[in-house]
Amino acid sequence: MNIDKAIQRFLRAYLPLKDDLPTEMPAYVNSFGYFFGTMTLSSLAVVFMSGFVLAFFGPDWYHFSSVGRFVNAVHFWGVEIFYLCVILHINFKFFTAAWRGNRFRTWVNGWIIFSLTIFSGISGTLLQANWDSQWNSQQGKAAFNAIGISWMNWMNYTTVLTLHVVVFAGLILFFVITHLAFVRSESPVHPIVDEHAEEMYSEAMAEIEGEKK
Amino acid sequence: MSKISDINLRNIPMKPYDMVREGLFVFLGISFIVLLLAAFWGFPGNKYGPLTIEQVAKRAPIAFLQRTVSYFSGTSRLQTYGPPYTDNFNHAQHIGPICPNCWVGVIYPLNAKVDFVMQPLEQISTMDPAVARALSRYNLADKNIQDQWVKNYTDALARAQVVGGKVILPKGNYGPVPTLMDGMLTFARTGLLEAALTFNVNPRMAPYETNYTWPLLYLGGHIMSTVAGHFDEKGGEWGMSHIAGPYPGAWWLAPYTFLYQIPAIGNSNSGDLIAFVIFAIMMLTAIFLPIIPGLNRLPYFIPVYRVIWRDWYAKYPSGVVHTSKKE
Repeated sequence: MNIDKAIQRFLRAYLPLKDDLPTEMPAYVNSFGYFFGTMTLSSLAVVFMSGFVLAFFGPDWYHFSSVGRFVNAVHFWGVEIFYLCVILHINFKFFTAAWRGNRFRTWVNGWIIFSLTIFSGISGTLLQANWDSQWNSQQGKAAFNAIGISWMNWMNYTTVLTLHVVVFAGLILFFVITHLAFVRSESPVHPIVDEHAEEMYSEAMAEIEGEKK
Repeated sequence: MSKISDINLRNIPMKPYDMVREGLFVFLGISFIVLLLAAFWGFPGNKYGPLTIEQVAKRAPIAFLQRTVSYFSGTSRLQTYGPPYTDNFNHAQHIGPICPNCWVGVIYPLNAKVDFVMQPLEQISTMDPAVARALSRYNLADKNIQDQWVKNYTDALARAQVVGGKVILPKGNYGPVPTLMDGMLTFARTGLLEAALTFNVNPRMAPYETNYTWPLLYLGGHIMSTVAGHFDEKGGEWGMSHIAGPYPGAWWLAPYTFLYQIPAIGNSNSGDLIAFVIFAIMMLTAIFLPIIPGLNRLPYFIPVYRVIWRDWYAKYPSGVVHTSKKE
């Protein structure tokens, strides 16, 4: 078996270029709510990009230089906006019952991302090296110990930093990519069908058919 | 299109679209909002830096000494905390036989008397002969006498006064304990106690040690709790879901921190475990909602979807495109 050929076949079947970079959308994709996902992704991009800069210059820079403080602030507000967008996105997907048509995996995948971001957010808070991170490490230790994850030592700066910038960021990135792949492969969910109206339509059609005969 | 899209979009009218262009516009919009917020408010967490042992030793020397002598006497809550620090398994949070903390066990053993006080005192002794003599006298004394000195000192601290930065105790039989505690206070005031505690975690890692467990735990209990109370940040005050000052924090954790506002959970010895189990059930309900009968019908009963797809329903009342109506 040629693995490359198999991957090509798979991508052609499930992720062809036409879906990766779509030039048309179903007509029902016509609501501001469809922006929430893009807004979530955009704010996540802002968080990643600002985090990238923070990683390069380090804590003394982002706590004590004016430019560093600004980038740190961008990272912080990026997270605040991210959660605003993701909660709007989740609500939109709930109210449209977006798991229909075998999209359950995408729904679960989204919740995995959300759960990961919670841990990423907590580790980020602990890395702020301020009163809040100090207090949260005290508060958090009781919670982390209670649920049996004390083995991830949340008071070891290197552990928390590595978890934040490698493990959680990497996992988030992975699941975001799979989320997007699922979304593009499946196409946007169809509007909910009003079964009663549909039944009436069928009955009317049958009646017309009967009259014709 | 993909195999799945081919099936899903059969007979569905399409409209022109440019995903990348839309994405770029949204990204620019979001970036602008974030940059504006950052420029206007900055990083609010910069306002309150970490609480240092030096600050506490200088501004609240009696509170520092009370905390230090509680480690020295072995009466601090931390010394019977349970896993992962001590073997007081009865203090680990549990729901019946479920005790995840016990299962992990004592993986970061801590002897607060030795690690937080005796070790730094030995290091201070090399620089301060008075502390060296006091330490030697303390170590040579009978255990009962040691305990009596520490008890007398602890009781006297409640009546101590600070004059010109010095802690003045009423007259009493404290043995060498005041010299030892003053040695700790002086050392803390230099700002070096955090460094010593971090170094002592593992001297073999000396220049690289970043395990700040000991200096972070040192000010725990009453001192940090008082500061947190000042900022309304205690568990019963929505804890982690906001930060110090009038700024949003992890507000998205509100469904979790809400649980701590329920007295039966907030005041329970196993409150963290109970809150987590309830939160985990809430999360699992959300994750598996599409396959939970009844709950998965909720969006059908709350007709928000009618508003979202109003244009579509105006054209196709049942939501289905019938071939005769196909555009």
